[in-house]
Amino acid sequence: MSRFRRFLRTPEAVAGAIILAALIAMALSASLLFPGDPQAIAGPALLPPFQDWSLPLGTDRLGRDVLAELFHGARTSLAVGLAAAAAALAVGSVVGTLAGFAGGFIDEVLMRITDAFQTVPSFLLALAFVSVVGPSLGIVVIAIALGTWTGPARVARAEVLSIRERDYVASARAIGMHPLAIAFREVLPNALPPVLAMSSVIVAAAILTEAALSFLGLGDPNRVTWGGMIAEGRTVLRTAPFLSIVPGIALVLTVLGVYLAGEGIVETTAVRRGLQ
Amino acid sequence: MSLLAVSNLTKRYRRGGKSIAAVDDVSFHIDPGETLALAGPSGSGKSTIARLVLRLVEPDAGRIEFEGDDFLALRAAALRARRARLQMVFQDPLAAFNPRATVARVLDDPLRIHGIASRSERPRRIAALLERVGLAAELASRAIHEISGGQRQRVAIARAVATKPTLIVLDEAVSALDVSVRGQILELLLDLQRQERIAYLFISHDLGVVRAVAHRVILLDAGQIAESGDARAVIDAPRSAIGKALVAAAPRLHGTRR
Ligand SMILES: Nc1ncnc2c1ncn2[C@@H]1O[C@H](COP(=O)(O)OP(=O)(O)OP(=O)(O)O)[C@@H](O)[C@H]1O
Ligand SMILES: [Mg+2]
Repeated sequence: MSRFRRFLRTPEAVAGAIILAALIAMALSASLLFPGDPQAIAGPALLPPFQDWSLPLGTDRLGRDVLAELFHGARTSLAVGLAAAAAALAVGSVVGTLAGFAGGFIDEVLMRITDAFQTVPSFLLALAFVSVVGPSLGIVVIAIALGTWTGPARVARAEVLSIRERDYVASARAIGMHPLAIAFREVLPNALPPVLAMSSVIVAAAILTEAALSFLGLGDPNRVTWGGMIAEGRTVLRTAPFLSIVPGIALVLTVLGVYLAGEGIVETTAVRRGLQ
Repeated sequence: MSLLAVSNLTKRYRRGGKSIAAVDDVSFHIDPGETLALAGPSGSGKSTIARLVLRLVEPDAGRIEFEGDDFLALRAAALRARRARLQMVFQDPLAAFNPRATVARVLDDPLRIHGIASRSERPRRIAALLERVGLAAELASRAIHEISGGQRQRVAIARAVATKPTLIVLDEAVSALDVSVRGQILELLLDLQRQERIAYLFISHDLGVVRAVAHRVILLDAGQIAESGDARAVIDAPRSAIGKALVAAAPRLHGTRR
């Protein structure tokens, strides 16, 4: 409980948590508050915000409800960001653990593969992957994860290299435990904290990458995305700047919220570990 | 026939470009139910021998025969199965356990891995093991970091005896404990040995303890055997230079009786 209280005493963390909570509420309530297709025409085109209270944020070039799009976009952003980060962390931890624990040839091969992925800028990798395979939500998630798993893999490997020399790993071998069981039951869980500490940065980056892909028209065409909304708004930037500004602010706030809340969690748990 | 026969065991480590023999052509044997002590100054290769005997590291040369078989020839699954017969207790009872483990999980592992008891039977076995090492069965649900150092070392011993081994390697197993707890743990080890005829490879730098518990002793110096023989005879009248130095440095050797 004291960890929670320490979290509450960090103002940035609380601000992050509030933003994140609002975002999750938006994502979860999207289809309740705005049932039906958010991409359907809801009123006259290019209605400015705060004019008509049934369309509080106005409408876009095609007369779609901006607020509805914003809510449904929150869903896509969060889903893609979390799924891509989870995939990257999972793949990275497994690869890093195998490399660090097995050592020798397996380590060499896995780390060369990691190097290869790391030398390509992750956004280019995602761009290339989606262009080749085609845009859909699942593909976007994989595309983002492809470029981000290398960081967690390196951190996991470094941690595993130190853990595998500990006595309890020797004990596990001495009682005859299978090497894979040792790697994944004894070593991996203890190597996770520094890997998980990267998750806020990874989620934030994944959300930005998704927005950038959508901005370039490589997002799932059947979903509203903030990146897509910004791209849409760009064509009428002079006359209706709010169409780009509203999703832009949402994006900035989201990334900020994820980052602050994540850092807050890391901070409070790290302090706790430091005290022990 | 001896339980463990080690011959010409050698292990070299590279340090700063040149290779140093941590264990240099060492041969010894242990009989069933016997305690053989390894003593020697820091860095003399005691822990390396322990790890070699357990095949936690592989030797550069030499033979290890365990229960009549070529232990170094065992591979993968055969080696893991044989490990049930050859167990280890480490010096630091906190480092020897997964920091996330509970007492029950620690004792469950060997029972499960070696198919000693069915899932439904294991809680009872765990309780019996705890009782065997003088702990309350209720301790099973505790996390490893929630029990005392002495209790932890008893759990380590319980884990080691769970698979009914014939040999346990004790690397400074009582060195980290304070004196009163140390006496109790030594008592427990001797009791287990009497009842189940377990042999010990007992590593210690404390010649008083060695004299009290070991049948025979090997004094190591820089990876080589400097002197060996009956524990009391060697410690009461060391012939090697390192033996004399160790005895001279040991506090209150006299008055300890096995
Ligand atoms: N993994 C390793 N890599 C390099 N050198 C090692 C390694 N393990 C042990 N050594 C070296 O081998 C020698 C013997 O070490 P060992 O740990 O067996 O000594 P010890 O007798 O157990 O000492 P202590 O009483 O301090 O525990 C030392 O010189 C040590 O530095
Ligand atoms: Mg040692």
